[in-house]
Amino acid sequence: MAEEFNTESMLDMFLYESGQLLEKLEGIILEKQDADCFDDADINEIFRVMHTIKGSSGVLMYENITKVTHKLEDVFYYLRESHPDDVPHMELVEKVLAVSDFVTGELDKLKNGDTPDGDEKQLVEDLDEFLGRLKGEIKKQGIEMPQANRHVEPTQFYITPVAGDDSHFYRISIHYRSDTQMSNLRAYSATYALKEVAEDLLYTPDDILSNEASADVIVAEGFHMLLQTKSSKEEVIALIDSSEAEEINFDELTKEEYGNALGEFGREVAEPAPAPAAVDTKEAAGEAKPDKPKPGDYVVKTKEAGKGKTLAKHQPKQQSIISVNVEKMDSLMDLIGELVIAEAVVLQNPDLKVPGLELSNFQKASGQLSKITTELQEVIMSMRMMPLTNVFQKMKRIVFDVSRKLGKDIELEVIGENTEVDKNIIEHITDPLMHLVRNSVDHGIEENAEDRTAVGKPAKGKITLEAKNEGGKVYISVKDDGKGLNKDKLYQKALEKGVIENKPMSEFTDKEIFRFITLPGFSTKEQVTEYSGRGVGMDVVVKNIQSISGRLDISSVEFEGSEMTLVIPLTLAIINGIVVQVGNSPFVIETASIKEFVRVGEDSLIHEPSGEEYIVLRGECYPFIRLNEKYDLPDSIDKIEEGIIVVLEHEGSQVCVLIDKLLQEQEIVVKPIPPYVRKVKGLSGCTQLGDGSIALILDIAGLLMHDGERR
Amino acid sequence: MAEELLKNAETDETEELLEDDSQKGMFMTFQIGKEFFGISISYVNEIIAMQPIAAIPEVDDYIKGLINLRGKIIPVIDVRARFKMEPCEYTDRTCIIVIDVKSTMIGLIVERLADVDTIAEDSIVPPPSLGRKEHEHNKYVYGLARTGDTVTLLLDPEKLIKQDDIAAAVEDVRKEEQS
Amino acid sequence: MKILLAEDDFASRKFMDKQLSRYGECDVMVDGEEAVDAFMMALEDGEPYDLACLDVMMPVMDGYQVLKAIRDIEAQKGIPKSKRVKVIMTTALNDERNVKMAFELGCEAYAGKPIDVEKFEKVLTKLGLI
Repeated sequence: MAEEFNTESMLDMFLYESGQLLEKLEGIILEKQDADCFDDADINEIFRVMHTIKGSSGVLMYENITKVTHKLEDVFYYLRESHPDDVPHMELVEKVLAVSDFVTGELDKLKNGDTPDGDEKQLVEDLDEFLGRLKGEIKKQGIEMPQANRHVEPTQFYITPVAGDDSHFYRISIHYRSDTQMSNLRAYSATYALKEVAEDLLYTPDDILSNEASADVIVAEGFHMLLQTKSSKEEVIALIDSSEAEEINFDELTKEEYGNALGEFGREVAEPAPAPAAVDTKEAAGEAKPDKPKPGDYVVKTKEAGKGKTLAKHQPKQQSIISVNVEKMDSLMDLIGELVIAEAVVLQNPDLKVPGLELSNFQKASGQLSKITTELQEVIMSMRMMPLTNVFQKMKRIVFDVSRKLGKDIELEVIGENTEVDKNIIEHITDPLMHLVRNSVDHGIEENAEDRTAVGKPAKGKITLEAKNEGGKVYISVKDDGKGLNKDKLYQKALEKGVIENKPMSEFTDKEIFRFITLPGFSTKEQVTEYSGRGVGMDVVVKNIQSISGRLDISSVEFEGSEMTLVIPLTLAIINGIVVQVGNSPFVIETASIKEFVRVGEDSLIHEPSGEEYIVLRGECYPFIRLNEKYDLPDSIDKIEEGIIVVLEHEGSQVCVLIDKLLQEQEIVVKPIPPYVRKVKGLSGCTQLGDGSIALILDIAGLLMHDGERR
Repeated sequence: MAEELLKNAETDETEELLEDDSQKGMFMTFQIGKEFFGISISYVNEIIAMQPIAAIPEVDDYIKGLINLRGKIIPVIDVRARFKMEPCEYTDRTCIIVIDVKSTMIGLIVERLADVDTIAEDSIVPPPSLGRKEHEHNKYVYGLARTGDTVTLLLDPEKLIKQDDIAAAVEDVRKEEQS
Repeated sequence: MKILLAEDDFASRKFMDKQLSRYGECDVMVDGEEAVDAFMMALEDGEPYDLACLDVMMPVMDGYQVLKAIRDIEAQKGIPKSKRVKVIMTTALNDERNVKMAFELGCEAYAGKPIDVEKFEKVLTKLGLI
């Protein structure tokens, strides 16, 4: 019986269920915020959610939650029964969100062990006022007033205990020495002492005082107690007089075990009936039967497609899912990383290179091993993948809130919210994405609808949030059809701020000019607004994105809109890299950032009088870094024609790096450089190679930055 | 001898000692140049033989690089270089003492291990102050102890790996966590 | 108001007795069987209880069994739902399964121990007892 394992406390259940319901509610609201009204199914659903939360909060006696949800339930009851036209939809959406926020806040308090003491009065008054207007509307339209929503006060109550649910359950067995006199009295004194701290105490034999013969039983079989208490094990032990005891067994039990043990102590626990939902929920189900829309009454305005999407979105939740501690996942990931390395150590073992060794069986076996480790790696990676759904949900809320506050009419389109990325990465992109979305709403879309219609755009602004997965990278773009970036303004501003030297504008590409906005302290808007300002600029966004080896692409056409695209790796932990050697040190370069390998002669090298060097390839001039000089590596190749030139690219800028030789291409398990070593520019981590030696991973962005600073 | 010591240290001795509360007053002593140094054994995780070290560019020269300690990558510092002494060749006696200071694992490269000594609290005297050219050491040396004919300089590992280094490390970690 | 209190633990009994005596005459029982006996007796005397507070974990008959017995007796005697004795279960077993089971068996309220006196009183008000 499934219920057997359900030991969650009443309060936990309430918090969990209500949390789920609110999430669902917010999903409905945000999906339909741009519709003209809610359709029947939504109204029923919202009504049901409110009814359920009202009911359960009533049973648990959280009155402020009950009152608020009760009021909103009333509102939706009228909507459902009367189908009035001209419901101020936006206002209704706001009201629902306000209630949802209020209840969420109260639930959070409960989760933290506080009392839900939020003041509901204002909210209830607002809802009352709204409902009043709604009723007026209903009368005006000549629709028959439905009967008032009949509320069934909960008839059953659950009184949460004062303190948290932190009782301990113990089974204590005392075996007295065989010559102990009046062991029953000793047993009694033990029970007496324990009663001081006991919330519940059971013992066997239970007739210790009334039946003197129990003394013999106690000596023969021991004296057994079941104790429920708030006290710790030590405190309990201290209470028991152990002078004549030969042995005291002390077991801590779970609540479930305790419940089961009750039976042994001669107390039958009534057969647990299968627990259906609380009575009032059943009634709710009865009430909430969807009415068929009467003809001409009400028009369902939502596209059927929308409904289908909702269904699909909720379906995955029905899969059986276990939650796992992220730390465990990380350590599993580390172990698999170790396994991959260990595999390389075995398969590339120098002992195998003895000439004439017969290896065909070994090769077969090792091929199988490689297949398994690769699969293992893929599985663990997929386990860490999470869809962007939740992140996008947050964005919906932001667009809604900010656009309402700024009085802009904006529609948000979301594409590809099921795109999956590594959990660690999700944590890193939420804030940057939030910033980009706010920016689009605040700065992207025009202040006034007239400004839009004047250039022939629809009055309603549109922001598109899109995620897609392409070639091992995830692209998340925030696109608006607003005013776009003004290159002249950006250029002027950059001049004023002194971030560029007095180069003419023509020397910069569009992309370079757009990228000015990512420089620290650069904001094209004179006035920092509440939503986009907050002291963090685009530079922080870029920095956060770079910290996970991602980048930000900006494109924009003035008067047509802008698009900000975050390009991030699918995962951080394993990269495809090429191992190269400079002097005696191996380095790893991420394969994706390598444009080409070339060998050139001395004649391709340009020496500047300042000592700077450049390389000319097919007429193009690239900055040139000698890794051996930069990192002071001995025994390396100095002559350019003997080494190899690697052309690296990052965010559109290129750099040439001189290395000695290429070693191999392989999957690299990225590890951080120990924090004790101060951060070295140009290095992003380290890894173990097949032979156990350590290679440093080059950070192209860092190399370029460093190179730029030096000049 | 070094090998024997290594074995001893690696197998039972250190481990047992670490288990024991009586490790107070026990010091791992080692030799650098002519002098003997000691580190409280409570900091010592293990002793390993010299390993191939991956150099890291652009760091203080006493930070020799990174080693691979059974899959864990830890930095190693050369104690000799730390004391600004002339560098010397690593030999087969050179070994690495892996210490754990406030959860930061660091390897110390020392010329040769001496012994594990019990040094009584009352035989430790504070180092003579100033005036001498070793005064540079004094910030790492918190006491002197006489054992037999030799004087052992007792090192404070926290100062040895330099307070601000740790502070920087902690700062970095914090930043990373924040971002 | 006439109250039936069944509680085997001395300290809890003392506490509850003190609390409940403020509202009316409180008969105190120490195990489940006694509680059922008392309930029967009161019913036969034509002075039924208004409120019964039942501990869940009690010797002989536990609170659930007492609750079930009480409801069965009431059903047998044809006592209408509105006239039934109001039952509050008191226990530290406050996991959902136990609570729901108690509600299924027909108790009016389920109070987790240690008892929140303020809320307890509120419930009594809601049940129309005080």
